[in-house]
Amino acid sequence: MEGCPRNREIGPKLLDLIPQGRKWYQEDKNNVDQEKKLELRLGPPGGDEEDHHHSAMKKKNNTETRNIKVESEDKSFHGFNGNHFSSSNKTSQKRTAPGPVVGWPPVRSFRKNLASTSSSKFGNESSHGGQINNKSDDGEKQVELKKEGMFVKINMDGVPIGRKVDLSAYKSYEQLSFAVDKLFRGLLAAQRDTSGGEGEEKPIIGLLDGKGEFTLTYEDNEGDKMLVGDVPWQMFVSSVKRLRVIKSSEISSALTFGCSKHEKMRH
Amino acid sequence: MTEEDSSAKMSEDVKRYLKLDPRSAAASEPPPAAALANKSRNFKSFEPPCPDHVLENVLENVLQFLTSRCDRNAVSLVCKSWWRVESQTRFEVFIGNCYSLSPARLTHRFKRVRSLVLKGKPRFADFNLMPPNWGAQFAPWVVATAKAYPWLEKVHLKRMLVTDDDLALLADSFPGFKDLTLVCCEGFGTSGIAVVANKCRQLRVLDLLESEVTDDEVDWISCFPAGETHLESLSFDCVESPINFKALEGLVVRSPFLKKLRTNRFVSLEELHRLMVRAPQLTSLGTGSFSPDNVPQGAQEPDYAAAFRACKSISCLSGFRELTPEYLPAISPVCANLTSLNFSYANISPDMLKPIIRNCHNIRVFWALDSICDEGLQAVAATCKELRELRVFPFDPREDSEGPISGVGLQAISEGCRKLESILYFCQRMTNGAVTAMSENCPQLTVFRLCIMGRHRPDHVTGKPMDDGFGAIVKNCKKLTRLAVSGLLTDEAFSYIGEYGKLIRTLSVAFAGNSDKALRYVLEGCPKLQKLEIRDSPFGDAGLRSGMHRYCNMRFVWLSSCALSRGCCRDVAHALPNVVVEVFGSDDDYDDTVIVDYVETMYLYRSLDGPRKDAPKFVTIL
Repeated sequence: MEGCPRNREIGPKLLDLIPQGRKWYQEDKNNVDQEKKLELRLGPPGGDEEDHHHSAMKKKNNTETRNIKVESEDKSFHGFNGNHFSSSNKTSQKRTAPGPVVGWPPVRSFRKNLASTSSSKFGNESSHGGQINNKSDDGEKQVELKKEGMFVKINMDGVPIGRKVDLSAYKSYEQLSFAVDKLFRGLLAAQRDTSGGEGEEKPIIGLLDGKGEFTLTYEDNEGDKMLVGDVPWQMFVSSVKRLRVIKSSEISSALTFGCSKHEKMRH
Repeated sequence: MTEEDSSAKMSEDVKRYLKLDPRSAAASEPPPAAALANKSRNFKSFEPPCPDHVLENVLENVLQFLTSRCDRNAVSLVCKSWWRVESQTRFEVFIGNCYSLSPARLTHRFKRVRSLVLKGKPRFADFNLMPPNWGAQFAPWVVATAKAYPWLEKVHLKRMLVTDDDLALLADSFPGFKDLTLVCCEGFGTSGIAVVANKCRQLRVLDLLESEVTDDEVDWISCFPAGETHLESLSFDCVESPINFKALEGLVVRSPFLKKLRTNRFVSLEELHRLMVRAPQLTSLGTGSFSPDNVPQGAQEPDYAAAFRACKSISCLSGFRELTPEYLPAISPVCANLTSLNFSYANISPDMLKPIIRNCHNIRVFWALDSICDEGLQAVAATCKELRELRVFPFDPREDSEGPISGVGLQAISEGCRKLESILYFCQRMTNGAVTAMSENCPQLTVFRLCIMGRHRPDHVTGKPMDDGFGAIVKNCKKLTRLAVSGLLTDEAFSYIGEYGKLIRTLSVAFAGNSDKALRYVLEGCPKLQKLEIRDSPFGDAGLRSGMHRYCNMRFVWLSSCALSRGCCRDVAHALPNVVVEVFGSDDDYDDTVIVDYVETMYLYRSLDGPRKDAPKFVTIL
């Protein structure tokens, strides 16, 4: 919400509808000039397409115009009695201009991409072995996730449950290494505890220097598998796609044979 | 105890009670009702005399047969003794809003829960109107129930955040676990599912419906233990990742009780064929992609129709995620037995539909895309006389798309399918005439949800608002409990709803109404209203205030992009201590130093345990 004047009062602009048939349409036009400078537009400026369907008031589009607030003529919010709304004008008659409104029509995300999925019968996924990275039908949700942080999947040899880490929360390899230890220490101990006794929780150290039992590796955006720690942190963050904690004894085999994009690293 | 034992005990108890213990003060007369009542209420310091103990035993035996939760709620209100007995005999608990009480309260009151149904986020969260990480975590519930109910068998969650760790804890804590159903949930992945598959050895139902399941690249199908399983239902059509087909086939072969199988789109037609041949006892089949992996080589192609013929028990068919049209006729052998058909992922034209639907005389539930056009709906109306539920989704869900269905289809359905009870209909244009016709032809309607996708669109023939159509619905459909309105609507529509909608429990409003009067009509007129969700409508403080007397008796009220002020929301919160009022925007980098008076979203709900402690930063609880 940067850039908004502090004393702004928000008045959502909605169409003033009077129930007696079409009269409101005329009233609309009278308010045109007055409201013109206050109108909230989503479409291109100007344009005079008349539309006999009288489609809506322009509500602010949450994803696009969030930062654009309009100062109401009436500064005090409480004077704004909620019974009427000053009508917007030309934009309300424009039918093609309205940008997409969040969550409308109310169709769940997985129903939204039917046009594309139904036509791709022999798509690039095979029934097993094919890897679809970040496949998500929900474009909008994906955007929101990215906005929040940089989540990458991380798996560890010997632990069936994968996790996710938010790389934007760390500023160095040390911090990441520490986080990995915190994430997996307990899980690893639980997996190793086969005799039924209490599994000892050993800290997971030496992830970056090859000296520990485990080593941290990653797959970059070109599908190559590399050891973590060789390039500057920012460069790493910008190219990493997923992480994997492998046994240090298997470093050479993991990195040499796992180069193809479509091949999964097996335990 | 066995039924015989309990009835024997019961008759002894009853005899004793009727004869009355001669030691009790009441002696040979039945104690006056008031005295008994008083005795039952003095539960704290007063040791209940024998008749009450006996009564409790009797009650316990009787109440075991009472399953309806409404009835049980009524029973528990009779007196403290009945409340106590009811608590001990309630095995299935339904919690419509996970924030209406704390897990501790649940475990404190009900001691023998075997089945838990929990609902989390309100429905508008499905449409991105709620910021992520809002809440509804399953975690505190699984932790509490793990300790309190080790015999728990069933968990059914809707719109909750479930993590892999939660699933792991569930799998570890409940050795007799039988039934996991996750509807519209998220936060977990295939690794969590793998743990459940592996550790829940008594599992009968694993249903993942419309949930977001992350691909952790774990072969979860292989995680089911070897040997015969107890599986009766396995649904994973929403899992957007490939599966190990060989393992699935093996699993199906060793699951003799499997009746429902819903595969995802990564299962090809050839693979489906293999599954069907191995499981001809199936009653419900999710067909996966319904598209062959390989271009067929003439005689080598499997006989799909034969496979369907062999599955004589199939009554429910869905899937068709990547339908190859020429194979659709293969399902013909089962059409006559079908009671439920879901084509809502398939771009099916009227000509593709007609030969199929003309055999589906017994269909009660039909879901489809609007690609079937009005013509397809007419074909449905001509044949499907038993239709109870119809859902038509938009193939192209945008406001300005072409719109192949209209009032013509709606009217045809109303004329042909007189037993219709529930309808969800997405369209671009509609007329009051068609809606009114449906109200007159289908008196059994309990659910009417019409979504005219263009906002504020009037009757496209007369240009009038859609008030009359919806008015007719509430007036003529006397059993209506759920209503969703759309199109151009004035306050008048809401006055009709308030006047006639006496049984309405759920109301959805978007881009409708003129003023606060509309909201007032509804809040004052609909005594059964439980769930009210409103977006982008000109309702403000006066409207919100008009419902103050109602909010304690409602499950929730959602108002987003309306005209509420923070001050008013705060007033409501202060006036109603049992109601939690949350306000938030969709913008989650919220600047704490700027107090904005305008409220983007208000979500209020009643709660026995006060405001929740897990609210994220961007949510303010007033």
